[in-house]
Amino acid sequence: MSTALDARVGTRAPVDRTAPGVAVGAWRAFNLQLALYRHVWHGTVFTSVLLPILYMVSIGIGVGAYIDPASLGGIEYAEFIAPGLICSVAVMMLGNDMVYPVHGGYQDWGGHYLAQRATPLKPVDILNGHLAYAVVFRPFTNCAIVTAVMAFFGVYASWWAALAVVAAALVAASLAPWLHCWASSIKNDSNLNMIFRFAVMPISLFSGVFFPASEMPVFLQPLVWASPLWHGTELARAATADVAPALPPAAHIAYLALLAVAGWFAARRVIQRRLNF
Amino acid sequence: MPIQNEVLVRAVDLRKSYGEHEAVRGVDFEILRGEAFGFLGANGAGKSTTMRMIGCVSQPTGGTLEVFDRDPRTEGASIRARLGVVPQDNTLDGMLTVFENLVVYAGYFGIRKKAAREKAAELLDFVQLTPRSKDQVSELSGGMQRRLAIARSLINDPDLVILDEPTTGLDPQARHLVWERLFQLKQRGVSILLTTHYMDEAEQLCDRLVVMDEGRIIAAGSPRELIDTHVTKEVVELRFGAAHTTELAELAPALAGVGAQIEPLPDKILVYTDDADDTSAALEARGVQPTSTLARRATLEDVFLRLTGRALVEDEA
Repeated sequence: MSTALDARVGTRAPVDRTAPGVAVGAWRAFNLQLALYRHVWHGTVFTSVLLPILYMVSIGIGVGAYIDPASLGGIEYAEFIAPGLICSVAVMMLGNDMVYPVHGGYQDWGGHYLAQRATPLKPVDILNGHLAYAVVFRPFTNCAIVTAVMAFFGVYASWWAALAVVAAALVAASLAPWLHCWASSIKNDSNLNMIFRFAVMPISLFSGVFFPASEMPVFLQPLVWASPLWHGTELARAATADVAPALPPAAHIAYLALLAVAGWFAARRVIQRRLNF
Repeated sequence: MPIQNEVLVRAVDLRKSYGEHEAVRGVDFEILRGEAFGFLGANGAGKSTTMRMIGCVSQPTGGTLEVFDRDPRTEGASIRARLGVVPQDNTLDGMLTVFENLVVYAGYFGIRKKAAREKAAELLDFVQLTPRSKDQVSELSGGMQRRLAIARSLINDPDLVILDEPTTGLDPQARHLVWERLFQLKQRGVSILLTTHYMDEAEQLCDRLVVMDEGRIIAAGSPRELIDTHVTKEVVELRFGAAHTTELAELAPALAGVGAQIEPLPDKILVYTDDADDTSAALEARGVQPTSTLARRATLEDVFLRLTGRALVEDEA
C-alpha cells in the first residue's frame, strides 16, 4: 500500500527538481518544436527544394535570359538572385513559424505556451526555445538544403557560398523576435494577417532580392536600408558571387545583430506579460 | 485523508488585485500532504486566481503564500517542478500523438527519453488510454483528453496535483470516468487540490474544502462538517406547477415555522428541516398543496445557497 511520501502512479521517473538554467530551459522548450516538426517536415520539402527550383528555372533562367549581366555588376541574373532566395526562404519560414504557432501558444485551442508555463520552464525559456527553432534549427536545415539545391544551377563562385546559410540565419535572428513580439501582442487571430501584409510581404519584395536595391525610387530607399533581408542578401551575395556588399560586412552584421538583440528584449517583455497572470 | 501533518501550501491573508479589481481579498488556508482539498465557488469567486498563485504563474499582490515551504515569488520554477497541473482547457498539443504529448511534457522536467517513455506507458495504462497512444490528440473525445491531461500532470511524480474544474464541460459518463481515476489517485495517497462548482464532485473527492465567494473564504471544513454547521440534515423541495419567482416569494411566508428556514428559489421553495417526514405532515396540516414534493438530505449546494443566497448553477450561466 502506498504512503503519502511515495504516492505516485507507476515507477518513479528521475525528475530535475531545480529551476533549469538558460541553455537547459531553452533546450527543453525547443524539443516541443522539434516534435512538432517531425509531423510536418515533409511539407517543408516544397519550400526547401521545389520552390527554389521553380524560382531558378522561371525567373533565374527564364527572366535572366533578357537581362544584361553588365547591369548587375558583371554576374549572371541567376547568380544575382540565388543568395536572395536563400535568405527569402528564411523569411518565408518565419511566416510559418513565428505567427500562428506563437499566437496559438497562448490560446485555449492550442496553448502549448500555457502548458509549458505550468512546468519549471520560465517565459524566457519558452521564448528562447521557440526562437532557437526558428533562428538556428530551421535556417541550418532548410536554408542549407536550399543552398545545396542552388549549387546544381552553377551559381556559386566558390565554397564560401556555404556562408549564405549563416547570412540567412542572421536574417532570421533579426526578424524572428519582432514577429514573435507582434504575434504575442495580437489578441484577435483575424488580425494576424497584418503581420504578413505589413512585414513579411514588404520585406520580401523590397530587399534587393530580384533586382538591385539601387533601382528602387529614392523615397523607398530607407525601407530597403531598414530591411534585414536586404542586409542579409548583401552578405549572402558577397559569399556566393564574391561581389562587394553595399556596406562593409561588419556593418551589415552589426545592424542585424542590433535588431536581433533589441527584438529579443521586446519579445521577452511581451511573453512575460502574457504568461504572468 | 492526510497521512501526515506536513503542510504543502500555506496562505495567510493572501490577496490578488488586477488594477482596481480585487479578485482575492485576503484568504487563509493550509493544504496538508495526502489530502484532497477543494476550492468551491461560482465563476468569478476567486478560486482559479488562487490556484494560479499556488501554481506560481500569478504573483500575489498581498499577504503570504508558501508552497513546499518556498516563496512562489522567487522560487516559482523549482516549486512548479514539484507540481502537476490539469488546466481547465487541457492545453494538450493536438498535432502530437497521445504518447508524444506525455514524452515531450516529461522533457520539460528534465526526464530523459527512456524513463519518459516508460512512465508515459504506465500513465496511459492508469488513465485507460493505452489503445489510443498512437492517435493524435485531436481525435480524442473531451473526456479522453481530460484523462490524458490528468496523466500528463502525473509525469513528474508531483507532490501536489492541481486540477482546475476537472469535469467541467464533460458529459455524465465522462465525468464519472474522470472521478473514478481521481478517486484512484486519492487512494494512492496523491495530494490533490481542485476547484469545482459541482457539489457532487466536491462531496465525493474532497477531504476538506473552502467555499469562496467574491474573493473571500466564507466557510471551511470537511463536506460533512460544512453541512452539519450551516444547514439542517434534510431539505424538502416544493414545486407549485408553473409558479415562478414572484409567486413563490409571495407563497413563502405562508410556510413560516414548518422548518428551520424557508428559501424561495426561482422554480421551487426549499424548506430546511431536521425531519422531512414531520415537515411534510406539517405542510399537509396547513393545507399547503404543492404539485410535487421531494425530501432529500442536505448537500453542499444547500450550504452555498444559505451562505451566499445564490445557487451555483445560476452563476454558472
